[in-house]
Amino acid sequence: MIRWILKGMLRDKSRSLFPFLVVAVGVALTVGLLGFMDGVFMGMIDMTAKLDTGHIRFVNKPFYEEEHLLPMDRALAGQKKTLAWLREHGDPRIQWSPRIRWGAIMDIPDEEGNTLSQTPVIGMAVQLLDPQSPERKRLQLEQSVIKGKIPSRSKQILVGYQLAETLKLTIGDTATLMGQTFDGGLATDNYTVSGFIRFGVAAMDKKMVLIDLGDAQQTFYMENMVTDWLGFLPRSVAYGDYEKIKQRIEQGLAALIKNPPEDWASDDEPIVLSILDQRNLGEIIKKFELIRGIIVMIFSFLMVLVLWNAGLINGIHRYGEMGLRLAMGETHKALMASLALEAFAVGLAGAMAGCLVGGTVVYFLQEVGVDMGDAMAQSGLMVNDVVRGRLSVEGFIRGIVPGMTASVAGSLIASLAIFQRSEANLFRELETG
Amino acid sequence: MLKIQNVSKVYRVGGQDFIALHNINLEIEDGAFMSFVGPSGSGKTTLLNLIGGLDSPTSGEVVFNGFHLNEMSRDQLAVLRRENIGFIFQSYNLLPVYSVYENILFPLLLNKQKESQVRDKVMALVEKVGLSAEANKKPAELSGGQCQRVAIARALVKDPLLVLADEPTANLDVENSHHILEMMRTLNQETQAAFIFSTHDEKVTRFVNREVALEDGYVKSDKVKQPNGELI
Ligand SMILES: Nc1ncnc2c1ncn2[C@@H]1O[C@H](COP(=O)(O)OP(=O)(O)OP(=O)(O)O)[C@@H](O)[C@H]1O
Ligand SMILES: [Mg+2]
Repeated sequence: MIRWILKGMLRDKSRSLFPFLVVAVGVALTVGLLGFMDGVFMGMIDMTAKLDTGHIRFVNKPFYEEEHLLPMDRALAGQKKTLAWLREHGDPRIQWSPRIRWGAIMDIPDEEGNTLSQTPVIGMAVQLLDPQSPERKRLQLEQSVIKGKIPSRSKQILVGYQLAETLKLTIGDTATLMGQTFDGGLATDNYTVSGFIRFGVAAMDKKMVLIDLGDAQQTFYMENMVTDWLGFLPRSVAYGDYEKIKQRIEQGLAALIKNPPEDWASDDEPIVLSILDQRNLGEIIKKFELIRGIIVMIFSFLMVLVLWNAGLINGIHRYGEMGLRLAMGETHKALMASLALEAFAVGLAGAMAGCLVGGTVVYFLQEVGVDMGDAMAQSGLMVNDVVRGRLSVEGFIRGIVPGMTASVAGSLIASLAIFQRSEANLFRELETG
Repeated sequence: MLKIQNVSKVYRVGGQDFIALHNINLEIEDGAFMSFVGPSGSGKTTLLNLIGGLDSPTSGEVVFNGFHLNEMSRDQLAVLRRENIGFIFQSYNLLPVYSVYENILFPLLLNKQKESQVRDKVMALVEKVGLSAEANKKPAELSGGQCQRVAIARALVKDPLLVLADEPTANLDVENSHHILEMMRTLNQETQAAFIFSTHDEKVTRFVNREVALEDGYVKSDKVKQPNGELI
């Protein structure tokens, strides 16, 4: 019987091809759009994580509370012990990276040592020098350093390319950093400009410089201290899980605070943050998910609408067939079930085709990406200027489920008339063909 | 096999009662080959409807093969039709996307039989109605007479007790009509399925064994064929 039904469906294009195309197009659009949005969004999360917050951040509360002032005196000591503790009590999937956020005046002297130009900079210190350092890859230094080289010796500095332009820097220039030491004194140190870096975020390209973590600890007298521990999770961990991972680390934290490493200051009190707690990302995610939901709903609604109409037309087209089947003793329920089966089959085929098309587009976006050029960089959002899609199982499900539901729902709404159709007039109805 | 007892059918049209059938009493035996004749509007289709359990009488009772149709639910009636009653229509009503073979197969699939087990039976019937060469053709490629032969085979394939045919020859020319009636009579004798058809075609008379004439919802006459071939 099922084979008989499917055979009829395949032969009658009006009951297979059109609804198939509707579902395929609807699902392709949904999968494509959601994949694109997911990609942009995950790109934003990733970018923010790499440059700023990590996925999980372990930071001293006094530092975090005044982080806009970059109070380096609130950095957390005991680097090795802290790392050991994090490795033991943190999630095994996390890669921990120590960083120092610092602020200083950058002074560019001329040959005689007189100030040529001077500007406040925001700096970041990461483990740069070791070619094996995961930070090199994480910050994509190979691609981001658009002129010059990645520092290979100590006391070398990478300068945001727009900042370098304003200061008219050339590679090899000396840059003097003047800031506060850990205990409030004046710190100055000379660095050599080794390269210009392009983060792809306007705010950073204009203000940011990058030095090695060890150099920063020397320059600012921060032996064995870091301001941040950034934890990075693999892409396979969804952002929905960050909160859980954070809470698990928090559970062990109380014991650590009660029995802290001896070189911690008495008021040191590290806290664990998820990226979603920072930079308003939690709110943005809620909005993003809302918009995504609305998009899925709109597409589903449109599909239901079109398929319902297709079903109605089909119902007229097959009025005789339905009447005949009722007369021959098929029950109303069986007839509806057989129509639902047809709709299910069409929906499945359409959803598969839609996934294939939408998925291919997203795959292309994911692997190749679309260069939005400066438009993105200038937006000030932490979004990479190469927009990428993101292919995910959930993305497909969000396309397939509404596609199939729309197909079955549309056809069932349309065939409700069958349920009310009475047998009493079948003879007369069938008379006229 | 079939008892129609004091059956009346009243339609309500525009707030007024219209009596389509007046207190009909008929008894029809197994293997009957009979017709309801009468002018348009006399109630032939209405009566076939009641016999087939497609509609229910306003009063009176239809008893088919021991089943009191009044007491059965819509789904039970559907099962009864599916298993015991074949239908033939004036305008054939074949399913256009299926071949001759598949159209005839369909009632068996409805009765949950497997195609592999009934293929030979269906093909034998295809041959019996003379359509072996057309078995794989679609209805659109057939003549009216051929279509009606498919419909006959489709009605008979499930070995029904009763075949109801509403004006089966109305769309056919004289030659084809005779052919169809001849074929139905042969099959009636071979299969023991009873045939009841409605018609306003006088020529049909000579094929049937019994002829019930209806007029304005009344049974005007009920003639049974004598051994000499005359209806009385
Ligand atoms: N559903 C209905 N509602 C109201 N009146 C109906 C209905 N069905 C049939 N009638 C009326 O009942 C009467 C008998 O109709 P029926 O269809 O049984 O006649 P018939 O003998 O089959 O006629 P024909 O030869 O034209 O097919 C007609 O007057 C018709 O108008
Ligand atoms: Mg009629």
